[in-house]
Amino acid sequence: MNDYSFTKKECDMGKDTMESVKKLFTTQSAKVDTNRGGEYYTDLYETCRKRLDELKALPVVNNKLDFQQTIMDEGLDRRDFLKWASATTAMLMLPASFTPLVAEAAQVMNRVPVIWIELSDCAGNSEALLRSDGPKIDKIVLDIISLEFHETLQAAAGHQAEKQLEEAIEHFKGKYLLFVEGAVPLGMDGQYGTIGAKAETFKDHLLRLASGAAAVIAVGSCATYGGIPAAAPNPTQSVGVMDVVSGKPIINIPACPANPANMVGVVLHYVLTGKIPELDSLLRPKFAFGYRIHDNCERRAHFDAGEYVEEWGDNGAKNNFCLYKMGCKGPMTFNNCSIVRYNEAVNWPIGVGRGCIGCSEPDFWDKYAYERPMANANIKAPTGGVEKTVDEFGLALLTAAGIGIGIHAVASAVAGKKNSEKDA
Amino acid sequence: MKVKYLIEKIEGEAELEFDFKNGLVDNVIISFPFYRGIEEILKDRDAMDALVITPRVCGICNHAHLIASVRAIENGLNKAGININLTQKAISLREFTLSCEIVHSHFKWFYLVALPQLLNLDGIEKPDNYILKASWASTNIVKALAIFSGQWPHASYAVPGGVSCDPTYEDIIQAEALVDEVTRFVENELIGMSIDEYHKTKEISNIKGDMSTIFDMMSKKNIEEKGKSYDRFIVFGEHQIFQTGQYNKKYSNDISFAHIKEQIQHNSKAKSVTYKDMCYEVGPLARAIIAKNDFVLNLHNKYKDSTLIRVYARLDETLRLLMYMKSLLANLNVKELSCTLAKMPKAFEANGVGMVEAARGSLIHQSIIKDGKIQKYNIITPTQWNLSSGTQKEAGVAAQAMKGSISVEEATFVFRTFDVCSVCTTH
Repeated sequence: MNDYSFTKKECDMGKDTMESVKKLFTTQSAKVDTNRGGEYYTDLYETCRKRLDELKALPVVNNKLDFQQTIMDEGLDRRDFLKWASATTAMLMLPASFTPLVAEAAQVMNRVPVIWIELSDCAGNSEALLRSDGPKIDKIVLDIISLEFHETLQAAAGHQAEKQLEEAIEHFKGKYLLFVEGAVPLGMDGQYGTIGAKAETFKDHLLRLASGAAAVIAVGSCATYGGIPAAAPNPTQSVGVMDVVSGKPIINIPACPANPANMVGVVLHYVLTGKIPELDSLLRPKFAFGYRIHDNCERRAHFDAGEYVEEWGDNGAKNNFCLYKMGCKGPMTFNNCSIVRYNEAVNWPIGVGRGCIGCSEPDFWDKYAYERPMANANIKAPTGGVEKTVDEFGLALLTAAGIGIGIHAVASAVAGKKNSEKDA
Repeated sequence: MKVKYLIEKIEGEAELEFDFKNGLVDNVIISFPFYRGIEEILKDRDAMDALVITPRVCGICNHAHLIASVRAIENGLNKAGININLTQKAISLREFTLSCEIVHSHFKWFYLVALPQLLNLDGIEKPDNYILKASWASTNIVKALAIFSGQWPHASYAVPGGVSCDPTYEDIIQAEALVDEVTRFVENELIGMSIDEYHKTKEISNIKGDMSTIFDMMSKKNIEEKGKSYDRFIVFGEHQIFQTGQYNKKYSNDISFAHIKEQIQHNSKAKSVTYKDMCYEVGPLARAIIAKNDFVLNLHNKYKDSTLIRVYARLDETLRLLMYMKSLLANLNVKELSCTLAKMPKAFEANGVGMVEAARGSLIHQSIIKDGKIQKYNIITPTQWNLSSGTQKEAGVAAQAMKGSISVEEATFVFRTFDVCSVCTTH
């Protein structure tokens, strides 16, 4: 006997809408256009070709580490590098013919200046990005991108570092990519977070740096939606970058921490095309956030078969069954973790039987937090069909999927009960 | 003369205000201009939410927060009469993953902070390959961690009663290979000799590799005997490899959570912490002293709690942990249960304390739970012990250590030997 006894209403709801559940899991969940036709790609190829030639002619912004040399130092040969380039091309949803361009783009990444600032954060994204995560070549690529300013990595410290930042934003005005990690605390006139000798508030610092940026990239859930600091009761009145910055292209790469593969993808896309990648309504790049964790989950077959883990350490857990009833939020979470995984793809949370906590979704800390299965969660159904994509529907889909899955689990529980009745 | 100095290149920012007298640092006020209110956020939430939220206090020692958090719940349940006995397998896996995190943090501290800053003091710019060395070594060791925890940073694989993963022999072999690779890195790059030779060494001057660079530089800059503080140490976290206890002129294994006091400080968003109203140092040096590590005790006789011994203890611990991790994997019995608490009670009452040794020292979580909801959550981080400005009676541990420095640069190196982290300090 498990803990999840369902009310009669819930069971009825399950029966009533089995049709919609079926629809939810058989229709294409996200409308990502991976084939735009020959003409589109021919044009794009030419644009990229021109862009790369222009970049090559530019002086190297920061040539501390030479890419080819770095590859050799790490003991990777050209074959590994091309393997990486073709995988990255696929991740960016480009045809295979773009592989040589992606490889070239990786080598001219040090022509695009990047400034990285930390606001109200735990530095987890910096950790993930710069030192501890990411497939090997992504990591090298990140070691050599022209990080004009990153307080942890630069040689300078203190006042010297401040001076370096001021010089960089002046020199690369209008050209740099501004990566922002951390939320923006607005409470107490911004005094919950200040930076530098003049104690500039995080908000003023961000606005000043954003004004000279080519684009602003919010990395991690704090910079995207306010993250943990914005969790109820939001003591510091923290918000995300997009709530503060306007008049600039903004790209959100949520998750806690954001996956380095996606950060590289965004920079590479910019280097390659001179444009920001296609975004959804929450400003997330579609190449990374176009699908749900659930769509490509290695335990999906167990979900479909109605085989669930019911308690930590039970037989289901030993057999890698579906974690939905333990509160896994994979079905409501748009991210590519089930494909790119973490820490050089060595594993990911579902791989260790822990379930997804939905860390790349807005308000995950309040709405999705922990192991309350969605069947028991207080989530309302949206108006409209359940198979809408996040673009058409924004947050509504998440809640729709939640209900749909709640129903599925109820249905399987009901089915299981019927079977055992028969057995008895 | 007063000099304000900003410390960056840590997780967050710190501000040091130096007061010089006769050319020497006479007093330092340390403040952290940053606050998120994690403890306020935890209030009234489901008890288990702490396991997901507290790791996000810090991007570097997040795993220690997870373990402290799960231990607080387990301790509370035990006190409430729900007995939880972890299997040796679950204990070993938690010890392994925590050790990985400590080792990775020490690598980063050494190659990204301590060594470059010291070289800078001598006008030498940081060689670029330090970034790559730090990156390579820390990446590989947290990869071994992620095999069992799913990801790093911010994993949540520890659950009351054990762990959620059920590793196979293949996972263990993969982790062993990574530990071996990192051990080879340590032998080739960090100490320039085999671990066996290292253990036979009786003198710091015999050590080679990058470790010798830092000791040579410390000697050249005449900084070895600087950085002395109160020579008081404390270790709270219970582990198979560390011992709990305190040292204040003499040893005592009798320590109690009840004697810990937190105090709000003016001009800083970090609270200070005392034990029996005195400041104590936590971290690798404290662990080595309490565990009576022979080599460290010999150094201690000569140098007391100076920068030299503080740097040495952190590096020595890296090696010891790698050996320990290897033995944990070799003795892991995969047939044991991963989790023994089959049914997590829903509306329970508990008042528990979870203590863990993190990279920078003892980390303590206290949770008071009613009806399954958090009434009060208190986090005391290692950096609060070491980096606070202190009490009315005495300066904080690091502040005391910086007194007598001849320059701001020298003092900030002393500050760095404690391994600074502001996001933990304020949380």
